[in-house]
Amino acid sequence: MALPLKAEHASETEDFESRRNIVKFTVFKESDENHAQKAEITSFEDVMLPHLDAAHNLARWLLRNEEDAKDVVQEAYLRAFKSFGGFHGSNGRAWLLTIVRNTSYTLLKKNRAVDLTTTFDEEIHASGDESASPAIIVEHAEDAELVTKAMDELPAEFREILVLRHQEGLSYKEIADIAQIPPGTVMSRLARARAKLREYLAAQIGKE
Amino acid sequence: MNCDEATKLMDGYLDGELDPLTSQKIEQHLRDCHKCEQAYEAHTALSHAISRGAPYYKAPNELRQRVHSSLLDTIGAKDIRSAARENQLLVKRPRAERRFVPSEMPWNWLALAAAIILTAVIISSLLPRLKQPGSDQFLATQLIASHVRSLMANHLTDVASSDQHTVKPWLDAKLDFAPAVVDLSGQGFPLIGGRLDYLDNRPVAALVYQRRKHFINLFVWPAAAGDSKKQELVTRQGYHLLHWIDGDFTYWAVSDVNASDLQNFKQAFEEQTARH
Repeated sequence: MALPLKAEHASETEDFESRRNIVKFTVFKESDENHAQKAEITSFEDVMLPHLDAAHNLARWLLRNEEDAKDVVQEAYLRAFKSFGGFHGSNGRAWLLTIVRNTSYTLLKKNRAVDLTTTFDEEIHASGDESASPAIIVEHAEDAELVTKAMDELPAEFREILVLRHQEGLSYKEIADIAQIPPGTVMSRLARARAKLREYLAAQIGKE
Repeated sequence: MNCDEATKLMDGYLDGELDPLTSQKIEQHLRDCHKCEQAYEAHTALSHAISRGAPYYKAPNELRQRVHSSLLDTIGAKDIRSAARENQLLVKRPRAERRFVPSEMPWNWLALAAAIILTAVIISSLLPRLKQPGSDQFLATQLIASHVRSLMANHLTDVASSDQHTVKPWLDAKLDFAPAVVDLSGQGFPLIGGRLDYLDNRPVAALVYQRRKHFINLFVWPAAAGDSKKQELVTRQGYHLLHWIDGDFTYWAVSDVNASDLQNFKQAFEEQTARH
């Protein structure tokens, strides 16, 4: 890298050692606009950064990959910041999670379109395993590794609704807003997601 | 209410999302129907187990910082654009002189000649500046921005330690080069920690030192082949930037301490790294 610093805007140049060059540059003051933008960032962060864990958790479950999740969360925060002016609601978490969800789906669609559909082949996935009793399933459901495996096999729609309900404790109304489905659909989708998860858990237990 | 209806509404009941009247009807049915009651209990247990069993992926600390600096970058990007606009204005100014030129009046030949000379003079005086908007000047701006941001955003260090044997392995693991890290407490510049940064289109190491109440950011990255071993001091916006190249690395020390302190710092740093 060549490093002769250009002397433009120089108000004063002096050499006082053979190898030392001192160049003074004009002072650029921070503009008022810059200050206003910084204040805007601060107020945005005050409202939105408390939901960083929720944002990361949702993205991580949807994408099943830590690096993708971090990229999506960063992108979602930038998008949220750009449209922050349009946010007048009181539910910052739901608003942010909607953006995280949409950003995640954009990436999912790009990477693997297959993942998005719930109309997957029931025959392949159906374990037909009714042998594991509810008590055994419940016992294993607290095994984080097993639950993660079973959850990760579910379609994105199911992973999403389980995260929003079981981990974020959101109401059906909030879930409907975030997942962009009619409120009446939330209950039936949640029921299907839970049933599917129970089935996969039973299959996982059967494998062991 | 029959069993089918009850099964359908069970999740809503479980989640407390049904209206009171429907809830009451289900309660009634569960009291009457042993099969549904068992199913409901199993369903509740599963639901609670999912809540407890599924891991919650908390955001890593690094992500918080990443989000914060990417937000700040949206301002930085604007700065560069407005700087570019100013440069464009400079380009247009000499051309404006040509507007005086087109005229058929004979006395205008003099004006034309004068205008040409004037234009030539202006262009020749501006050209060296315009030709090289100064990648180095841009680098200096980046260095100061990075220094200021590190102090402002509460993100001075990724690894906070005065122990060079903690900071160095941390940086080595994250970079494709292994910068020298020395503690200069004995010389009055205690090591505070290290940080990753991005400058001159590459990830760089930032070592953070303290001088009384001031901080010194020392940015380090591999020197390009052919870089000469020279040193220079730049003063800008009240910050001093001291640059030197030593062995394989190029160094930029940025701080608001006075210039002689920065020189002492460089000397101490070089002496210590030579010893290692």
